[in-house]
Amino acid sequence: MIKLKKRSRINILLLLISATVWIVLLFNPGNMMTIAHCPVTDAGASSASIKMLLAMNPFSSLMIGWALMLVAMMLPMLIAPIHHVRERSFKSRRSRAVAFFLIGYFAIWMMAGAILLAVILMLNLVAPQSYLPAIAAGIIAFVWQCSPVKQRCINRGHKHRPLVAFGIAADMDALNFGIIHGIWCVASCWALMLFPMLLGQGHFVAMAVVTYMMISERLEHPTALKWRLRFSWKLIRIAIAQARIRLQGLLTDSGQSSTVSLDS
Amino acid sequence: MTSYIRTNAWNNGGTFKNEALLWYAKGVGEMQSLALDNPNSWWFFAAIHGEYVDPSTTWYVTNSANTPVFPDWGFIPGMPQVPTVPLPPYNIKDIFWNQCQHQSWFFTPWHRGYLLALEAQIRTAVIAAGGPSDWALPYWNYFGPGNEYKIPPAFTVPTLPDGKTPNPLFVTARYGPKRDGDIYVVIGPNDANEKCQQDNTYTNSYGGPTTLFQHAGTLSGDLEQNPHNLVHVDVGGIINNTKYGLMSDPGTAALDPIFYLHHSNIDRMWASWNNAKNDNPTDPIWTGGPQASGDREFIMPMPGGKSWVYTSNDVTDLSKLDYTYDDLSLTASPITFGGLTQRLMKLGNAPEAAMAAGEKSMNEDDAELVGAHDGNLRIRTSGVRVKVSLNTDARKRVSASLTAASDAAAPDRVYLHLENVQGEIDATKLKVYVNQQPVGSVALFGLRRASVPDGSHAGHGLSFNLEITDVIDNLFLNNALNAKSLDVKIMPDRPVSDDEKLTVGKISIYRQGQQ
Repeated sequence: MIKLKKRSRINILLLLISATVWIVLLFNPGNMMTIAHCPVTDAGASSASIKMLLAMNPFSSLMIGWALMLVAMMLPMLIAPIHHVRERSFKSRRSRAVAFFLIGYFAIWMMAGAILLAVILMLNLVAPQSYLPAIAAGIIAFVWQCSPVKQRCINRGHKHRPLVAFGIAADMDALNFGIIHGIWCVASCWALMLFPMLLGQGHFVAMAVVTYMMISERLEHPTALKWRLRFSWKLIRIAIAQARIRLQGLLTDSGQSSTVSLDS
Repeated sequence: MTSYIRTNAWNNGGTFKNEALLWYAKGVGEMQSLALDNPNSWWFFAAIHGEYVDPSTTWYVTNSANTPVFPDWGFIPGMPQVPTVPLPPYNIKDIFWNQCQHQSWFFTPWHRGYLLALEAQIRTAVIAAGGPSDWALPYWNYFGPGNEYKIPPAFTVPTLPDGKTPNPLFVTARYGPKRDGDIYVVIGPNDANEKCQQDNTYTNSYGGPTTLFQHAGTLSGDLEQNPHNLVHVDVGGIINNTKYGLMSDPGTAALDPIFYLHHSNIDRMWASWNNAKNDNPTDPIWTGGPQASGDREFIMPMPGGKSWVYTSNDVTDLSKLDYTYDDLSLTASPITFGGLTQRLMKLGNAPEAAMAAGEKSMNEDDAELVGAHDGNLRIRTSGVRVKVSLNTDARKRVSASLTAASDAAAPDRVYLHLENVQGEIDATKLKVYVNQQPVGSVALFGLRRASVPDGSHAGHGLSFNLEITDVIDNLFLNNALNAKSLDVKIMPDRPVSDDEKLTVGKISIYRQGQQ
């Protein structure tokens, strides 16, 4: 029987939660992930159309959809900081430290979500059923993606600072680490997250592509701040290398196996 | 029959009467005559390890007026005269330069390939000059008898035996541990030593922590931490913050010809450790090299314009590589057992069983935090001294494991963890004391680059583990392990100026259960 290491067990748990939420999102329950329209909402910005849009798309429902999207997309990227927090906490405090970190991190993303969803609703009023907002968001995301600011945000996201160990200060520090980590993550990914939300169709596929891009670029080493076409192939390189290793293992029947995880 | 045998640089007194050294000097001279952008040049090879010559890197050093300053290569004093142009094209730099693997479990295999490539270059030059076709790189075993802790004299004379030709092995920026030009390695139980050779596992111990897909390593393996890092800083030394030895910093180290003899010895220690039936990792993530994790592959320029791409697995077997060492003894001096091991031996356990009782080194997967000092610490010339508070429950678990200690019930190992050590001057050693007892020294080789916010370490700096099991066991034996804190002192080995920011992010105590 294979005995998994603690880190591996945590990794698998996080990936399983993420995968489960992805499946939920695939079915888009209650149309949480998309904006519904009717002739009133398509008639341009007016008091009536705003009321109708909010009636058809309650903000709370949109925020729940946003939260699910965050869990699906972001949890795999939180593996390294979660280990960081856990391993720097006393045994009896590990779970609460991780909880405080997650609260801080997701609070920032939920605040960002409120702003982004408001922008999305507004764009749906101004240009209902139009691809123009998505195109504009795509251009903004592309420029942001190539910018040195984006690289700075990715680099800072790698920063795992020492954490306070004792007392309430430890809880507050874990919360603070989550907030800071969340801020760099939002600053890095906001444009990429906005783009799929503005698509009328292909929303799910766009989310998957964006998730790939975010995870893959986070796996790259921090690097110099400069303008560059920033698309990471690292996750694909890892997949190919791992497939080759496993194939060779099967062919040679060496009985050895490798540990695959997204640890740092 | 092995074609190439690496021999002791101290043969024939370590002078040019040792032919291996004389031919090495001539080969180095030949490589130094080539341009910086020539992949066969001395300068290009140094940059493969690390460099401060490319202004586009995040670690290129400038002052507040944005003007380049030391240790950029243009500001290295004296011999050798290091070129700063012509730089190779971007695609060549990106493939070959700044590959050195530190704070990583690839430390040993990458450096073995690097030595083989350099050796091939030198041998080509030696043969072209009419030298022996089986020339091999000597090693400097600073743990050897007599004066061998000192640099071989061939490296300190200004000319070759003809009395006219400048000696390519002579380097001006090499200052030594006392900063007086006397170059030697400080040997001792709390300085450079062979203790790592007692390890019996590679991962998280001898060879370093697992380097997985997201490289953010700050910890070194035991071989890398001691003796490797300490030798670098001892040899390089420092005069002041703008004048320190080439060997002290990874971005200048391989400009000094003694670098390769130091690493030849490190490679010899690894080979002898394997020779003593200690195994390397079998995980394909290690054997396959960093490319198995989607990272940059190991690649070296070889004579004749070829390149050699290799993995860890390609360099683990010396016989396949057709070289060996004339001495593969595990250690030069008899192994001294730690206090806990001695205690277990007194309880009737055989030395091997007593040592094996604590074989599990600290790893982040199941180590438990026992105590910590919360808050960033600034290190000044007078050092820093703090109370590291202990968690009651964790301390009791350590105590319980020491109570039950035997080879059948291995006790905890306890480690002092220095986290996120940051600063700009690599040429620094920190001596660490717990409850007034010295527990070891750490050298800050690689500090500057690891502290650059946009560098590959994300500005984490360096981290270190020092085993303090014996100190804890002594407290336990004296019924003093109920203390609420430990007294930890960190002393730098040099003056730290007021404007220099040398910090330790956190001091922690961890226990590593052995069950």
